[in-house]
Amino acid sequence: MKKLNIILAALLGLGLNYSYAQTPKGSVLIKNATVLTVTKGNLENTDVLVQDGIIKQVGQNLAAPSGIQTIDASGKFLMPGIIDAHSHVALDVVNEASAPIVAEVRMKDVVNPFEIGIYRALAGGVTISHAMHGSANVIGGQNATLKHRWGSDDPAEIIMQDAPRTIKFALGENPTRVHGRGNGIQPRTRMGVEAVLRNGFNEALQYKKGWETYNSGKGQKGNTLTPPVYNERLQTLADILDGKIIVHCHSYRADEIYMLINVAKDFGITKLVFQHTNEGFKVAPEIAEYTMGASVFADWWAYKMEVYYSTAFNAAILQRNGVITSINSDSAELIRHLYHEAAKTQRYGGLTDDEALSMITINPAKQLGIADKVGSIEVGKQADLVIFEGHPLSSYAVPQMTFVDGVKYFDIKADKDDQRQFVSATEMVEPVFLHSEEDHQCLQDVDAYFEAFQGAFLEEKN
Amino acid sequence: MNRILKTFCASLLALLPVAAMAQIDGEFVKPRTGKFLLQNATVVTVTKGTLNNTSVLLENGKISQVGTNISAADAEVIDCSGMFIYPGMIDGGTRLGLVEVSSVPETVDYAELGNVTPNMQALTTVNPNSEAIGITRVSGVTTVLTVPTGGLFPGTAALINLNGYTPDQMYGGFKAIVMNFPSSGRRGRFDRRSDEDIKKDSEKALKEANEIWDNAKKYLELKNAGAELQYYPEMDQLSKAVSGELPLLIVVDAASDIQNAIKWVEGKNIKVIFSGVSEGWRVADEIAKAGIPVITGPVQELPSRQSDRYDAAYSNAGKMAKAGVKVAIRTDEEENVRNLPFHAAFAAAYGLGKEEALKAITINPAEIFGIQDQYGSVEAGKRANLVVSTGDPLETKSQIMHVFIDGYRIPMSNRHIRLYQEFLERSPGLKAN
Amino acid sequence: MKKQFLKAGIVGLLMAGFLSQSAWSQSDPTGKRRVSATYAITNATIFAAPGQQGTKGTVLFREGVILGMGANLSLPKEAQVIPGDSLFIYPGFIDGAGTTGITKPKDLERPKDFVSSSPPDEIAGITPWRSASDQFSIAGNQVEDWRKAGFTISQVMPDGGMIPGKASVMLLGSTGSVNVLLENTALAANFRGARGMYPSTPVGVMAKFREVYQNTTLALDHSKLYASSTGVKRPEMTPTQAGMSAVVQQQIPVIFTAATDLEVRRAISLQKELGFKLILSGLENYESVIDLIKSSGIPVLIKLQVPDDKAVKSQKADSVVTSDTKAQYERVKEAYDKALKQASLLEKAGIPFGFSTVDAKPGDAMKAVQAMIKNGLSEKAALAALTTNPASILGISRVAGTIEKGKMANFVVSTDSIFKEDAQIKHVIVDGHLFDYEVKKKAANGNGKSEIGPVTVAGVWEYTSETPAGSSSGEITLTKEGSAYTGSISYDDPSGSGKVTAPIKNVSVNGKTLSFEFDVNAGGNNLTVTITGEIIGATMEGTMSVAQFGSFPLTAKLSSPSLSN
Repeated sequence: MKKLNIILAALLGLGLNYSYAQTPKGSVLIKNATVLTVTKGNLENTDVLVQDGIIKQVGQNLAAPSGIQTIDASGKFLMPGIIDAHSHVALDVVNEASAPIVAEVRMKDVVNPFEIGIYRALAGGVTISHAMHGSANVIGGQNATLKHRWGSDDPAEIIMQDAPRTIKFALGENPTRVHGRGNGIQPRTRMGVEAVLRNGFNEALQYKKGWETYNSGKGQKGNTLTPPVYNERLQTLADILDGKIIVHCHSYRADEIYMLINVAKDFGITKLVFQHTNEGFKVAPEIAEYTMGASVFADWWAYKMEVYYSTAFNAAILQRNGVITSINSDSAELIRHLYHEAAKTQRYGGLTDDEALSMITINPAKQLGIADKVGSIEVGKQADLVIFEGHPLSSYAVPQMTFVDGVKYFDIKADKDDQRQFVSATEMVEPVFLHSEEDHQCLQDVDAYFEAFQGAFLEEKN
Repeated sequence: MNRILKTFCASLLALLPVAAMAQIDGEFVKPRTGKFLLQNATVVTVTKGTLNNTSVLLENGKISQVGTNISAADAEVIDCSGMFIYPGMIDGGTRLGLVEVSSVPETVDYAELGNVTPNMQALTTVNPNSEAIGITRVSGVTTVLTVPTGGLFPGTAALINLNGYTPDQMYGGFKAIVMNFPSSGRRGRFDRRSDEDIKKDSEKALKEANEIWDNAKKYLELKNAGAELQYYPEMDQLSKAVSGELPLLIVVDAASDIQNAIKWVEGKNIKVIFSGVSEGWRVADEIAKAGIPVITGPVQELPSRQSDRYDAAYSNAGKMAKAGVKVAIRTDEEENVRNLPFHAAFAAAYGLGKEEALKAITINPAEIFGIQDQYGSVEAGKRANLVVSTGDPLETKSQIMHVFIDGYRIPMSNRHIRLYQEFLERSPGLKAN
Repeated sequence: MKKQFLKAGIVGLLMAGFLSQSAWSQSDPTGKRRVSATYAITNATIFAAPGQQGTKGTVLFREGVILGMGANLSLPKEAQVIPGDSLFIYPGFIDGAGTTGITKPKDLERPKDFVSSSPPDEIAGITPWRSASDQFSIAGNQVEDWRKAGFTISQVMPDGGMIPGKASVMLLGSTGSVNVLLENTALAANFRGARGMYPSTPVGVMAKFREVYQNTTLALDHSKLYASSTGVKRPEMTPTQAGMSAVVQQQIPVIFTAATDLEVRRAISLQKELGFKLILSGLENYESVIDLIKSSGIPVLIKLQVPDDKAVKSQKADSVVTSDTKAQYERVKEAYDKALKQASLLEKAGIPFGFSTVDAKPGDAMKAVQAMIKNGLSEKAALAALTTNPASILGISRVAGTIEKGKMANFVVSTDSIFKEDAQIKHVIVDGHLFDYEVKKKAANGNGKSEIGPVTVAGVWEYTSETPAGSSSGEITLTKEGSAYTGSISYDDPSGSGKVTAPIKNVSVNGKTLSFEFDVNAGGNNLTVTITGEIIGATMEGTMSVAQFGSFPLTAKLSSPSLSN
């Protein structure tokens, strides 16, 4: 695929730019599907025409322009590509756990396009994942929004370059355990978490002012102003205050959610999404009023104290209170059946099909700031699509084909054994070790912050 | 003094209407037993086909009749028109009741210290009041095997019904001694031992297991011969697996380990069940040939190897069943055992088929445990463990309307539901008034 | 070990002083001074530069400078003649980036007020002011082993964290000489995080690198303003900024250690963003970035090593494995073949590359090059990678890389064409100093394998092990008692800082394989840890494994061998 692009680019006389490589775009006509547009209702026996990676037409009896492949989807369901607003798939590092604020680190630096988890997510219909920094810090690193263009060897090609910047925050047990109890520095309590946030933002304000003063004097005659110390950490916080970055905050308890809303109000931060949000249902009206919503688990609870008083009805309560709600995975396993996770909102709260589907499509797209580009089947949007055998909210549903930008990256009929992109030359094949460490989670890489020996073998959950 | 008492009583009275209002319409505060007639349902018996417009009569904790014309004047009638009756679902492997909050060690009771501890009884540590039990049973999972973990012989697993206030009330009539079969795999990615070394280590581990087993055998022989033996609770319990009094539940996953386990079992003349078996599909024919039943799962799980197809875990049960293995499904869960029907649905979609998938969480585990006379289907004479739902309980869209366990009508409530009821329309809402 | 090196260094310095004095006094009571610094290797086959045919002739050099070469040289009377009739002469090899002769400085004590989220630079591994020259010692086995492998010049990098310091170009020459050719030629950098403090992972390292770089730029701006105006606050340049200045001002490049294609991309993206000069070093797995390397025009030093064939060799016959195992075998084999082919792909892409000796074993160096040649690399490109390419990357082409009149007298003299499997190195000449090596007769059976001699077990081993929690280190002390061994091991205390020592048990030595066990108490549980390793000379490579938890790679060096082995 990449080779082909290089040849095409050469033919067209285009220079290949390293940092913004041309990503593959496909054309296809999918015919006779039940089209679940999510935003515009369900369309029976409908065709969707994709040209050059964009949905060009949605209607009946569309004819394929010459050279465009037709796929018959009679009896099948077509839905927008599933979007996971919380994942750690395809990251070589998840946590820079060493300081309570590490806003300067960028997950884009450590994207790994070879990870098998990308393909497995595609096989579950997921076309976009939000590759997040972990939850060891009050303010973690900047996340990367990925498009699952499997097969590329260039991280830049799987990063969704037109997605806005987002950053990870984390409240509660994880940052207080890693720093307060693990390292003996603030925060050790939820009071400390709030203080770290407020300290950080106030310092960022001072930092911003320092630079404004310097820049206004710089270059003028007789200037004696010297440059302040450059600090990308504070610069990033200043960017948050300037509304340039969407905050995605790992949170569980209602009190800490409410706390962050108040901090955000005090600092004028409006781009705020809560992640996990297990007790979000208790402050649903407040989340609905002030934030860009909540991204939650379908039914996870009880694995630690701060999720003990949860309910599987969380998503339904949030939705009914007007919160933009999405269902996420935070797991390389769950990401493969988000359609099923979303369907649990029908068991726990009786949500409609459109409500349930929007939780894995248009709602996460809104929370990632990409709803104008993806998240529904509409003319003009990027052609991220999944064909299902069976309605995607049925427990028996099986994804058949997954497209990103009109290019098919998963086809159940062409699924061969061993999809690995990278095989080590020194790998022992047998006897096998059954590994489970592929299931990236929020507290990956923080082991060094607990006791050396025990720490190395602790299994951490979210 | 008097005034204080008066004030106190007054405030109590003021509280009363509030308490009454907090009670939810139609919610019973506790499970109730009695005589129930479930009328005009579609009954999915599992073993005797699907019966339309059929009624089921429950009395004395049992299913007394299944038929179209049941008259029971003294029974409480529950109209089930348009609804479906299924047998209660059985999860063949969980840690339900043995843990409350897994990150809080003080609440984790499934793993005891020591390598040979078959005398550790899961049943005695089951907490009947665990929140997870109330949250599980309204999904229609009425019965689970709860299994300790840890060393080579970590303890004795027990089948429990999810109703009752003491472990004995919950006990479902089946126990098994658990064995974690020694693994011959590499210990991790860093493990670059030569094949010979791995073989040696594996042989060493097996040798150790054999020594312990032989010890139990000797213990049994001497005991049977009437010898007065020193107190030895580990061997006393393990010898029950040797004699066949209790089955041996062998937890084993990697293909080569399964093969070794089959060999190990050969000629031992014991009752054996395999559990886990995530790579069973690689050696399905061999398991079938050995005639060992399997409780596999979780189904919603990552493939065990990077090179495996993405659906390796989804399709495992189907592949084993096709090869002729008797398959039941487990979640291997604690707080989310309620997902058992969904694990079964995934197995169904990826090769097992709907009918077999339903069996894998009803009659198959009952048969594997040897309790099929009481569990696993809707038939007269069996225990009254039933689910009434608006549709296929393996579909998330279906609502579970009623659950009966041992003839008790279970309140369709739990903390998750109560929180829903309280917070769906919170009061005060956004602004206090 | 450190002490020993230090001693050797002092002895070397003393000797250097003594020799230079003796040059004046014309006396050398050691009897070791060479009688003449003029040499001629006569009638040998000379390969003067990569791609040139071998020509029969004589090479004449004096005091480290090549005086001439050719068939009809007249030799001065003081020339010491080395008959080279059956020998082959090549330019001395150059190591583009190595750690030969480098001893890691002692870890600094953490200050009392240490805060792991903002540690002092020198503790967090940011020490750009350090120079490899200060960590280098010419004496010792490392230099000797690499010289024996034909290496005459090495750009040595200091040992340390993410920015350990500056590299220096060293001659692997006589202990009596000053061997520094060029100092502070490049800044060494890598993606290695600091253990248990900021920055602890590659993602933190990249952020920290940006910050250090940007603040150096600002500090230089500040200094400039201070120099040109009055009333400006005094600049307080930190040692880190002072150490980084030459990089920011584009005077010297950064040698980034980047083993994989993803690391190569990371280093290049930092370079594109910040604008420094870049050399990539230690490349191991780079097939997919060859086009990128080519288009970026960045010099590369690939690892002088090929993957071990343990996995490929251990594959079983098709008849005894299942079809999916067979398919996976094929993929590993394919990956192995690809790895060997990469160097030839660099050549095909027209990228002049050199080698880095970091992590490579001197004894296997030529075997690695031969493997690359077998997999498509031309002999010309191989020789260029050992000589002219690194000379050009290091900016020393004027004096090194080829055999030419006026250049430095650095040669490799071998018994056969150097890339032949049977070729042995008989002499290495560095800066005109002659080093002779024993040439073994060809083994009668031709397999060249020597018998396993007795291995050295007893003594003090310094080990490091890479665990998921980071690297841990300590000492293993083994004592021989009769035919058995006993001893102890120190390791990082699981419940805090510092080290604990535990007795070891079940020591077994089987051929070259050493294994033993010890118990660790972690949170009330006793964990048995097994260490197994293969001893090669004074090093051991193996694993540390903990039942149920996994195995982790371990390396150890014998720092003070016991005499009772």
